[in-house]
Amino acid sequence: MKYRWGIWLSLVFGMLLLVSFVASAQLPAGISREETLVVDQLTGRVGMPNNFNLWAGWRNQDRGIQQLLLEPLWTVDYATGEIISGMAAGLPVYNDDFTQMTINLREGCTWSDGVPVTADDVIFTIDIHINTQGLLYHGPMVQYVEKVSKIDDLTVVVDLKIPNSRFHTHFLDRWGCLRIMPKHIFENVEDQLTYEYNPPVGNGPYVLFDYDPAGFWTLWERREDWDKTPTGKLFGEPQPKYVLFQWFESEEGKILSQLRHEIDMAQHTPEGLRAVLDKSDAARGWRRDWPWVVNIDPCITGIMFNNLVPPYDNKEVRWALTLAIDIVDYMAIAFDLMAPVSNLHLPPVPAYLEAFFIPMQDWLKDFELNLGNGETFKPYDPDVPNRIVEAAKERGYPIPDDPAKIQELFGIGWWKYAPDVAEKLLKKNGFTKGEDGKWLLPDGSPWKINLLSDPSPTHHQLKNANAAAEQWRKFGIDASAGPTEAFNTLVLNGEFDVSTQWPAAEPWGAGVDLSRTFDPWHSRLLTPIGEPVALGPGGAARWCNPVLDEIIEKLEKTDPFAAVEETVELGIEALKVLVEEMPTIPTYGYCGAVAWDETYWVNWPGAENPYSQPYHHWPNLKYMLPLLKKK
Amino acid sequence: MRFFRDYLVPRIIQYIVVIFCGITAVFFIPRLTGQNPVLEMIAQIQSQGSTLDPTAVESLMETLKELYGLKGTLFQQYITTWKRVFALDFGPSFFQFPTPVSELLKTYLPWTIGLFATSTLISWILGNILGGIAGYFSRKNWSKIIDALIMIIRPIPHYIFGIIVLILFAYVWQLFPVGGMMLGRRTVLNWRFIMTILRYSFLPAMTLVILGGAVWFQQMKLLVQNVKREDYVQYAQTGGVKERFIIYRYVLRNAMLPQITQLALVLGQVFSGVLIVEMVFSYPGIGLLLYRGVTRGDYNLVMGITVLSILTITTAVLILDLFYPLFDPRIRHK
Repeated sequence: MKYRWGIWLSLVFGMLLLVSFVASAQLPAGISREETLVVDQLTGRVGMPNNFNLWAGWRNQDRGIQQLLLEPLWTVDYATGEIISGMAAGLPVYNDDFTQMTINLREGCTWSDGVPVTADDVIFTIDIHINTQGLLYHGPMVQYVEKVSKIDDLTVVVDLKIPNSRFHTHFLDRWGCLRIMPKHIFENVEDQLTYEYNPPVGNGPYVLFDYDPAGFWTLWERREDWDKTPTGKLFGEPQPKYVLFQWFESEEGKILSQLRHEIDMAQHTPEGLRAVLDKSDAARGWRRDWPWVVNIDPCITGIMFNNLVPPYDNKEVRWALTLAIDIVDYMAIAFDLMAPVSNLHLPPVPAYLEAFFIPMQDWLKDFELNLGNGETFKPYDPDVPNRIVEAAKERGYPIPDDPAKIQELFGIGWWKYAPDVAEKLLKKNGFTKGEDGKWLLPDGSPWKINLLSDPSPTHHQLKNANAAAEQWRKFGIDASAGPTEAFNTLVLNGEFDVSTQWPAAEPWGAGVDLSRTFDPWHSRLLTPIGEPVALGPGGAARWCNPVLDEIIEKLEKTDPFAAVEETVELGIEALKVLVEEMPTIPTYGYCGAVAWDETYWVNWPGAENPYSQPYHHWPNLKYMLPLLKKK
Repeated sequence: MRFFRDYLVPRIIQYIVVIFCGITAVFFIPRLTGQNPVLEMIAQIQSQGSTLDPTAVESLMETLKELYGLKGTLFQQYITTWKRVFALDFGPSFFQFPTPVSELLKTYLPWTIGLFATSTLISWILGNILGGIAGYFSRKNWSKIIDALIMIIRPIPHYIFGIIVLILFAYVWQLFPVGGMMLGRRTVLNWRFIMTILRYSFLPAMTLVILGGAVWFQQMKLLVQNVKREDYVQYAQTGGVKERFIIYRYVLRNAMLPQITQLALVLGQVFSGVLIVEMVFSYPGIGLLLYRGVTRGDYNLVMGITVLSILTITTAVLILDLFYPLFDPRIRHK
């Protein structure tokens, strides 16, 4: 009997060892780890692993399609503040009245099957979008393009139906744009919408090598003729021979994988990042020290009001709610003080600090709110970063003494915590307090705020919702966070009072053109509740203003490349309108918790050497790869 | 004739009514969640940064409604759904458009069946054998020790147990991968292929076998302890019948009946998958597919998976009902 048990146990252990050791390593057969960069995929398991046709719908483009396979005409880099001309040889050239845009293409580039990239590809792409309803950029191409033609094989001229000095932005990659299609592939396709584009032919430095039919990973191989791609011509040879994009369903799995040095680049939750940095002997964050996270992301988080719904259609109510927030306390709840605050509807990235935040300081300090009865109040508080420093020191975090560093870490200022002023503003507008100290609406009913939010606890939207609810509860409002899976539907249709949708559309992050942020607030895009808005971020606030309309229209007639000073001035004027009206409350710049492993690759674009934007899911990854170094 | 009138016909009517109610509920419930798949897709497109003109939004909405088959009144959509059910064609997945739902089921269902069915059967066999023996010898010390261990293991949630397994086997001892099965699209059936599947499936299967087995163990132990006290068992013991014979022929066989019913019902759960385990181990299965369908308002996908689930479970129960008289003479007698 004893022997029988022994045999069984030996068999079980034998199988265990066999299964665990004989089988392959973590990479597909024949792929060397030393030559491979492994990154995690941001947007989830690929739903359609066989389909690479991102012109026809959502295809998890961050599985390498936008980073490695395709090179757009232009790409934004918010770390350097530059626009990188990739497939184009330079920035677009407009005629005087912005009815014509000329694109000059880079010479000597080929598609991955060896066919030269020419003006015909650009013309085909625009024409097929005009003619095919269902392609994602069908709408803007039909709306703006009168005719597209070529002067020669490397020069394209787009004639526009109406003046538009920002038409090029449809081709400017900032995590999405209209990328140029290989004409010789797509011209033979019968149905552009159902075509799978597999295997894909691209103009980027990598080609598809393999993928998981279940959608967990995609593997790319460097092109032998990488020197015939814009990346090769601009930055040289991409260092990794292979790049693997891998999705982990659980944060824990991703953390463990990085601790095993199986992922080189990963984006975690802040808690996940701490776990990796704490346990790994080879991992680093974007900053080598606290607060580690990427705080130059060109995206602003905060609180959004539905400006068509009372009492949020009243700017004094919106301002009262702003002044009821103690931003230091708020930041401690929302993000453990790790993000830079922003009182403007812009992320405090380097380009915008210089062009907008710093030049507006005097105006902000003088800006006054009218409290009635001749009383005014100056709400701006440039001392907020110092107060955050004190709070961070109390938590034991290492804080630099250099004021410039403090500004870089915590922002440049926010609004004062002034619940007494908030109370005056509310009482001025008919609000009262009940016997229990809770606020009542002007009609005498209890004031309840449900902050509609994305349900993910790691999302900045829920972090903002929890922090705002806490602040407003302290102020005497019955406020709570309202996470829901139907967040997108409700926000787009305006079925909410207050939410934590992005308070302003993300600006480009480079240059001084803020049109992307302001455009969704033009009155021509205002839609009634029940109809979807043109752009959720910013736009879902359903707010417009005649002065802002004028500024937007002036910006449309201003060349963002040739008339930089004028573009900045108009941007500042628009930001002043937003401060006065406060249609949404910006709180802090989005932060990404990126961890890099230095076992196989080094020279990451960290805070000490930000030669490129740092995310692996951004299209700019291709421009980072030539600068990585093997350890 | 009485069998048809009193037993078969009522059960078949019940079978049809359950399917009708189930599919009707599955049609309406996702539409009551407040999620609109067309707007979800527009939000996804907007996340790429494109500000669309209101007319362009309107046009895109119409196009998507057309492509998704969401045009027409709710009643018309309901009728279309029934046509699809009869044709077993659930149309395209909204979020993975234009991939048909049937294609997605074909891709992911085998993974779940492979993992779930295998681990359920193993846990059922092990749990019942061990539970039966432990129940019969419940006064022995070794039985009490196993029982105490199972008492500790059973309440542990799948997520926590999975993470513990992952940390021990994939991080501390590094015997198994963390996730992401490296098979690729050019797979061929060979030794490497089999070993890769075994290697990546081992930890999720182990989690399911241990946690599932603990449940079967406890249920079987209680059943056996009850059966053991029955007169016929006591009589056999007094009559000097061999103990092994009593255990296998008298006790276990009688205690097995409810466990067989339970097994059929549990196997039907394959369609809701083993979501948590799939998540922890990044295992490609249908649970995650259904989860994504629910969170993104992908009506067709939810419909496809749940209709198959309803059909399978109800059919399994019907078959079980029809065959039960063969297992249980008491029902045959009635």
